[in-house]
Amino acid sequence: MNYLGNILSYQHFPIYAIMVLFLGSFLIAVFGENRIARNILALLSVTAALGFVAALIKPVLMDGEIISYWMGAREPAGGYAIGIALEVDALSLFFALLVSLAVFVSGVYSIQYMNRDHNEKEYYTLYLLLCGGVMGMVLSGDLFNMFIMVEILTFAAVALTAFRNTARGAVEAAFKYLVVGCMGSTCILAGTAMLYAQTHTLNLAQLAQLVPGDVNTATKVAFALLFVGFGTKAFIVPFHPLAADAHGAAPASISVIISGVLTKSGIYGIIRITYFLFQSMGLGTMQFLLVFIGSLSMFVCVTMALAQHDFKRLLAFHSISQIGYVLTAVGLCTALGVSAGLYHAINHTLFKGLLFLAAGAVLHETGTTDLNKLGGLAKKMPHTTVLFLIGAFSISGLPPFNGFASKWLIYQASYQKAVESGNIGFLLVTVIALVTSVLTLASFVKVSHSVFFGQLPPELENVREVSWGMRLAMGIFALLCLVTGLFPGLVTGYLTEPAATAVFNVSQYIEAMGFDGSAAVQPEAGSFQYVGAWDPVSWLLVLCIALLAVTIAAAAGKYGNFSRNRAARREDKYQLFYGGEAQELSQLGGDDLFWGFKHNWRGYFNYMHRMHSGIVNDYALWAVIDLALVMLFSLIVL
Amino acid sequence: MTVVIDALMYLGYVLIFPGFLFCFLAGMLLCGIDRKLVAKMQKRVGPPVLQPFYDFFKLCGKETIVPDAAEGICFMFAPLLGLAALVVIQLFIPVFGFTAISGMADIVVILYLLLIPAVSIILGGAASGSPYAGVGLSREMVTIISCELPLVLVLLAVAKTVGDAMGTGLCFSLRGIAEYQAANGSLICRISMLPAAAAMLLIIPGETGNHPFDAAEAETEICEGLLAEYSGAPLAVFKLSHAVKMLTLTSLFAALFLGGLGTGMVVLDALLLFVICAVLTALTISFVHAVTARLKIEQIFKYYWTVVTLLAAVSLVLAWYGL
Amino acid sequence: MILLNYIASFFLIGLGMYAIVTKYNLVKTVIGLSITDYGVNLLLISIGFNPGGTAPIFTWSELDYNSFFVDPVPQALTLTSIVIGACVTAMSLALVIKLEEQYGTIDTRQIRRLRG
Repeated sequence: MNYLGNILSYQHFPIYAIMVLFLGSFLIAVFGENRIARNILALLSVTAALGFVAALIKPVLMDGEIISYWMGAREPAGGYAIGIALEVDALSLFFALLVSLAVFVSGVYSIQYMNRDHNEKEYYTLYLLLCGGVMGMVLSGDLFNMFIMVEILTFAAVALTAFRNTARGAVEAAFKYLVVGCMGSTCILAGTAMLYAQTHTLNLAQLAQLVPGDVNTATKVAFALLFVGFGTKAFIVPFHPLAADAHGAAPASISVIISGVLTKSGIYGIIRITYFLFQSMGLGTMQFLLVFIGSLSMFVCVTMALAQHDFKRLLAFHSISQIGYVLTAVGLCTALGVSAGLYHAINHTLFKGLLFLAAGAVLHETGTTDLNKLGGLAKKMPHTTVLFLIGAFSISGLPPFNGFASKWLIYQASYQKAVESGNIGFLLVTVIALVTSVLTLASFVKVSHSVFFGQLPPELENVREVSWGMRLAMGIFALLCLVTGLFPGLVTGYLTEPAATAVFNVSQYIEAMGFDGSAAVQPEAGSFQYVGAWDPVSWLLVLCIALLAVTIAAAAGKYGNFSRNRAARREDKYQLFYGGEAQELSQLGGDDLFWGFKHNWRGYFNYMHRMHSGIVNDYALWAVIDLALVMLFSLIVL
Repeated sequence: MTVVIDALMYLGYVLIFPGFLFCFLAGMLLCGIDRKLVAKMQKRVGPPVLQPFYDFFKLCGKETIVPDAAEGICFMFAPLLGLAALVVIQLFIPVFGFTAISGMADIVVILYLLLIPAVSIILGGAASGSPYAGVGLSREMVTIISCELPLVLVLLAVAKTVGDAMGTGLCFSLRGIAEYQAANGSLICRISMLPAAAAMLLIIPGETGNHPFDAAEAETEICEGLLAEYSGAPLAVFKLSHAVKMLTLTSLFAALFLGGLGTGMVVLDALLLFVICAVLTALTISFVHAVTARLKIEQIFKYYWTVVTLLAAVSLVLAWYGL
Repeated sequence: MILLNYIASFFLIGLGMYAIVTKYNLVKTVIGLSITDYGVNLLLISIGFNPGGTAPIFTWSELDYNSFFVDPVPQALTLTSIVIGACVTAMSLALVIKLEEQYGTIDTRQIRRLRG
């Protein structure tokens, strides 16, 4: 009984959360021929993982405990960590929660979404392998273990990208992703090796203790290698074309994982290495790196998205653009900034997941994601349309959805940073963020017009609404989008601020593993106060009253005075106005909708189009250049 | 008991002042004044000042036609949402000393709330399925993008100026801005704010979609674009929204740059605000309308992102260095 | 002596990246990936090397403070890394075969349907 109590103690939950996913993957590979067994196994694994992670909320996020777990009870000997460790602080658990949530919803969605594909067994095997990889990475307390998990997830993601290998470009996308992704992984391994050479340990806590005392050229090179390596996982500029290719080809449920979870693992890695390992190299200068790359990602990807005409490819670019927000906010190195960035990370998982699932629903029913071939689906798929609009409003930051709540914090954080540091560059960041937001809105207006509104092409007459399971998955995300938008105080209070506190409390992280953290260089969190006000619930209440008032007035007047008589509908007055021309399908939409904007920027757009040549060598060259630049930066400036 | 009184008070805010009734009357009057003035400037007689009211009630009496190709719910509901959102913004904008609802939204929020009416008109137009609406929504969106950058810069400049004086470094709260101006005089008196005020004046016709920045509606070219398929009461609501938007933007200008003029009495303040709004409308909407020809959409974009942005940026830099 | 190892490992990493960037043949790209990987493996194994050390195989009783052996951890890491490298090669070659089937070429300059 005591033994049972022991293995059910929450100290073991992190490893269980990782194990159930890998175990599920293995079991499906063995027993997955049967459809029902496969689905039950998959759902069971993801639910169990969610449960184990959720059970950790109480001790870790609320009580602020840090769970340290030595595999096989191999505690450190002679002051050196020999065993492999899991270490779960508020930051890890925060990301683990995101992971398990996205994985769960995506798992629910997959069941009906993948029913027209063959090889579902392989799909679920790889799917759970991917999820387990990400889960393992964010819970790990060991740098090499992180590398292994990164490799596992890269592998699974590549295989799943190529899963529909007859689809246009799927194999091509997978190959590009594999090449550049493996260059990134190699960078991580090389960085790990160089750190090991300096410190003779792989444990993150012990590294955090030892690295600050030992900053030399090799550590700086290691920083550059690790930063670029995790950058490829987060797909930040210059690795964004890979995300676009991979998302376009992968099944929608995998896109959710890649954008909502895999990119987060990259962000997690970057936070870990900058704030925990290398903070003594000068956070002030590192923040320039993060903010610069973040702002660049924000802007470049949103403009690239405006030029796209494929639904999922467009979403992919937006995904990276939003990751740019996260990275920028995290790079501000203030408590408000980190908190805002993590808040945006949650929101990004939610709304991006919702949008990818909506794109998947459209693909599932119509067989295409080309914006030029779609249109008018609102009449055929009303629920999907509403859910998509919620996602679109969230990502464009329209109140009261969640995108606004976090963006609002990010603007404040960056502007406050500008005022405090007296550096006008941060002001530029605020402006870029605000402009990016409106460009995002433009791009989603384009999508909603091209896909859901406008005219219905005749070949889509027979489209039907997607099945309930897929709508349920989208509904969960949509509901969470609204909830996290309406109650920002709860999200910041219970989720992001504990995580942000953990980021600024390095010595606690070190001491939790039994090392001496007293000498750790702690980044300065700084205090903050909100300079503005935003009360979504009251606002929504007032809007509802106003809306009710208008609606009542309209209903009392002759607003609803239109003919519902279907028979009379043949009359000319119910047809669209064509200025006297013959009626024909004239759906506007697709890539060139915002011609007025693009015309003025044609030089830029032509240049970007040429740059994103689709040749794998070019993308590899960008990676090498990026590595060289970051290395130069860290050697010279840091 | 106090809860009931509070609730009634808020209901009064929403329905009467500065909510629906005020918005309706003031907006429509502004619209009438604008039409009359433009006519006078063009040596025409012009319609009576009350013409927008007549138009509104006439449209409300007409039959509403929902085209076959349209997505009915969105098509009918979008105008209402747009109007409600606009009225709610009006509640947050201080009328000199008086703010109906404060502490709920700041200027960044206002910036985003201003997008909601625009998005609702875009969705309504898109839902109609008309190709003209397609062209219209593309232009409407580009106009929004054009105005956004200078507007952001103007708001940041104001936030910085007020924040510097208040010692917090920056101030996003509209009430803070109003209080600062009540204590220190209008912001427009400061040198650093002059370019921002000029930029804001130029933004007003763009945001409302008035001549010469009305490429999105261009009735002679794309048959009113987004409104091509609208008729009857929904069209009347959109026309009303347009009028209210004129009021909202001009009173936002008043709140940002002309604060501190108030007398302390709400009724007089409301009248004063209306007079200011009328003058601003005459200046930025009617006069510009009378002397210019419609710009093409790419020219609108270029204009806002060069001339107006430059003005706002100058102001922001000046504010940054504390002038 | 060990310095030569380090130089060689970084040379290998650079060579691999050079191959990936400049070679337009998919198979050569895969070879480049492998070379990069070998470079990192060499780096790892060199880090753990102690001149004159014995193999790190001991029972608990044999181990004392005077035993001098090479660092076993990098060897374990290298083994893992080699396995991963093999997987990468296998996977990328599989993809190359698929690409050749679909595009009829293994020239990267012609495999660019996804661009812009």
